[in-house]
Amino acid sequence: MDQEAPIVMLNGLWDTWYTLVRYLRTFVHNPFWMLILLIQPLVWLVLFTQLFQSITTLGFTSGSYVQFFAPGLIVMLAVFNANALAFRLLNDINYGVLVKMIATPVNRYSLIVGGLLYIAVTWVLQVFVVLIVSFLMGARVETGVGGVLMTFLIVSLLGIGLTGIVAAIAVTMKRPEPVVLIANLITLPLMFLSSILIPAYLTPQWIQDAMKFNPVNYAILAVRPMFLTGFDWTAIGQALVVCGVFALVAIFVETAAFRRFGG
Amino acid sequence: MTNIVETYNLTKVYNKTIRAVDDISIQIQEGEIFGLLGPNGAGKTTTIHMLATITRPTSGTARVGGYDVLKEPRKVRAITGYSAQEAGVDEYSSGREYLTLFGHYYHLDNRTIRSRVDELLELLELSDAADRLVATYSGGMRKRLEIGTALMHRPKLLVVDEPTLGLDIQTRVRIWDYIRTLNKDGMSILLTTHYLEETDKLCDRVAIVDHGRVVTLGTPDELKGEIHGDVVSLTLPVEEPGQQAQTIEKVRQLLSAQPFVKDVQPTAEALNIYVDQGGVAVPQILRLLEASGLQVGEIALARPSLDDVFLKYTGRKIREEKGKAVGARAAWIRRPR
Repeated sequence: MDQEAPIVMLNGLWDTWYTLVRYLRTFVHNPFWMLILLIQPLVWLVLFTQLFQSITTLGFTSGSYVQFFAPGLIVMLAVFNANALAFRLLNDINYGVLVKMIATPVNRYSLIVGGLLYIAVTWVLQVFVVLIVSFLMGARVETGVGGVLMTFLIVSLLGIGLTGIVAAIAVTMKRPEPVVLIANLITLPLMFLSSILIPAYLTPQWIQDAMKFNPVNYAILAVRPMFLTGFDWTAIGQALVVCGVFALVAIFVETAAFRRFGG
Repeated sequence: MTNIVETYNLTKVYNKTIRAVDDISIQIQEGEIFGLLGPNGAGKTTTIHMLATITRPTSGTARVGGYDVLKEPRKVRAITGYSAQEAGVDEYSSGREYLTLFGHYYHLDNRTIRSRVDELLELLELSDAADRLVATYSGGMRKRLEIGTALMHRPKLLVVDEPTLGLDIQTRVRIWDYIRTLNKDGMSILLTTHYLEETDKLCDRVAIVDHGRVVTLGTPDELKGEIHGDVVSLTLPVEEPGQQAQTIEKVRQLLSAQPFVKDVQPTAEALNIYVDQGGVAVPQILRLLEASGLQVGEIALARPSLDDVFLKYTGRKIREEKGKAVGARAAWIRRPR
């Protein structure tokens, strides 16, 4: 068994690659989907910054709202993309594709990680759109390329965690309705119980307490200073630990769901 | 002869109560086309899901090519091709892409994958549609593509769940041809079906399955041979519902007592009377019924079919069961009637 380990590992890496390629190829066949995916963050950026502009008059210390909100939107995209993989998986379950894949020697982790990487790739593309447009609207990333890369890392871990949990629910439930309900149930509170839209000191105490249990909030607390002031290494360290653990737990939970899938 | 599949007391219990597969022990020889025949919900799909390492047995063991499905699932998967009952194809990819993906998942090298894909597209008559999206494929094309994915790694054992379910007759005949061709090249094949014709035309041996158990097993001829002679099927004229049951019972008793009648089995709409020589028996039956003042609706004579074998062992016809799925998979979609 031990002699086979390197081959199994190598196969696993290739399995992950081909799983990712399969998901991404959807965009080659459906370029229109890609277009919608890239327009979506734009719409949010414009709508939210217009809607919440006046917050800056409430003794708001962060300069323009675009500058404040752009990092928030980047984190928010990870939250709102959490159900994207779940729906691809439900489609594969519905069409009997997943059961066929499970009957092949493909690595189980590769099926999961390949899907999560696909979500990460779509998210990174969306972030580029946000960065470019918010730059045009006057926002700047104070910490430059280093800050952008650190942002990618933290929010990817967060996105993998959220996506993995919703995907695990999809694989367990095997139908879309409960996934929609549960995803809606958790995504909005995750967003509101964080300082994505509004700084924490403007919220009631109980919300500030609840934020301590929300990985989304740790991500935004680490990411926002990188856009506004500079690296906050304490916040970055906390975010990496919280989101990293969250991502690992999610991969573990999703693997367990996959293993139970066939009954 | 070595066995490609061996199961010992294979059992799957869902929700602690539903025995989808109940103590199945079968041996399938290398090079055989083996059929699991039974109504929906008989446990056929669960059985082959356990052999294809999709579902874990609750108890008992199964070996494929000598490898235990629980202890060495990776080795089982490497020599087994699984073709699903439902669509099993990805609408968002082309036929060629989909086959290629499975080639990668079976860990074949790129050159082998390219040549196998071309070869299978040719065999399954999909070459012209190879680069079109599967969303544009017809039902028969999808089924052929789906079987193709299970053949990418030239498995020793092909497991096919209902190879021709819901397909038109031309497509069915073509798929039977593919299966025979593969078998001639040395592939062992395990299929499930509830089509008697399919079993008759394709299978070397058949296990008839009902309520998760094997009720009988043998070659189609052996099984039909168990029912010697002919089958006379008799319907009575329609009467009051209550009367009907009484009359049927009366006829059954009358005929069972005759020395030339071997067995009488009531079905939903007729009585099946098993006799040695139908030509002699039919006039005798008519005379007897007339003498007892009983009227005859229709009378027909047939060679025994596997349906009669199924009837003999379960007291039901396979076809009557269609759509009335019972068992684990159907449990959560069953509605009150």
